Amino acid sequence: MSANTNVHVSLAEAKQLVEYLESGQQDKADELIAEIQNPINSELFAEIGKLTRQLHDSLNNFQLDSRLNDLATADIPDAQERLNYVITRTEEAANKTMDAVESIFPVVDTIQKQIKAVNPLWQKLMHNKLDLAEFKSLCVDIDVLLKTTDKESVRMHDLMTDVLMAQDFQDLTGQVIRKVIDLVREVEDSLIGMLTAFGITTDSNAVRSKPKVGDNLVEGPIVNAAQRDDVVADQDDVDDLLSSLGF
Amino acid sequence: MKVLVVDDFSTMRRIVKNLLRDLGFTNISEADDGSTALPMLKEGSFDFVVTDWNMPGMQGIDLLKAIRADAKLSHIPVLLITAEAKKEQIVMAAQAGVNGYIVKPFTAATLNAKLDKIFERLG
Repeated sequence: MSANTNVHVSLAEAKQLVEYLESGQQDKADELIAEIQNPINSELFAEIGKLTRQLHDSLNNFQLDSRLNDLATADIPDAQERLNYVITRTEEAANKTMDAVESIFPVVDTIQKQIKAVNPLWQKLMHNKLDLAEFKSLCVDIDVLLKTTDKESVRMHDLMTDVLMAQDFQDLTGQVIRKVIDLVREVEDSLIGMLTAFGITTDSNAVRSKPKVGDNLVEGPIVNAAQRDDVVADQDDVDDLLSSLGF
Repeated sequence: MKVLVVDDFSTMRRIVKNLLRDLGFTNISEADDGSTALPMLKEGSFDFVVTDWNMPGMQGIDLLKAIRADAKLSHIPVLLITAEAKKEQIVMAAQAGVNGYIVKPFTAATLNAKLDKIFERLG
């Protein structure tokens, strides 16, 4: 019985024990005796109990965090739609702009051609070397030029307004992209929260892993060229690199 | 001169076509990736290829390699116009026998200069 030699029973404990026995609470009486005999066990139990409760709460919180569920089932599909909208709108804008520009090219070319046609006789007139027949011909040419320029400049103005209006995508896509950025940030926070809950450290100073590349190192446009030394910054860099290779 | 413009984005093909037309190239065909371009090249007598690098299906670099590996096509000059900007990739393209490399975003003047250089070398 050496283990029990240091056991001290307080008066309060003895009274509590009698109370349990008198009221027929045998379980509690046994528990109290065990506790008196071995206080370390009860501390251990308390600690385990605490941990169990924490685990239970974390798991509950985890399940209750319906935001995660929303993110996965609603927000992320919504973000895909938003980004597709950006692709559609920017493509539309590019095509609208190019429609207008392609319509302007021939107009400018026509005016240019008529100016060239008028110019020789005009130069003669300026140097007082024009005869009457040439003067009549020049008048006809200039008349055509004026009428064309008048009509086409109105059309060009309209087409340029089309180009101007096609740029309205910037505002709309900007708003949409900003929302997606917010979503990405929220997902990032949730993921970090999850990693922390599982005790995995998320060291923000950890060495950044390199961006994923596909076949043939394909990565797409480099958005942080200034911070990288494995990419060229501009066309001059490309030309320098190629000439260093003997191109 | 018959030119093939290869890019998966129709807007970029349209830009390149407009620029080429401005420089006097009027006979221009289009393809949206390497695997569409290659049979066109084998059938038609193209004199020049302008291609993007990153495309679904067959990439521009693989199209370039396929052109260089085909005795009937290997003489065709190839100009890459791409957002791919890793030094390693530029070296890769040079080793595969590219005739010019333009990084996006690019200007009309850059395209003009590279074309002059390519055709000056070919004589």
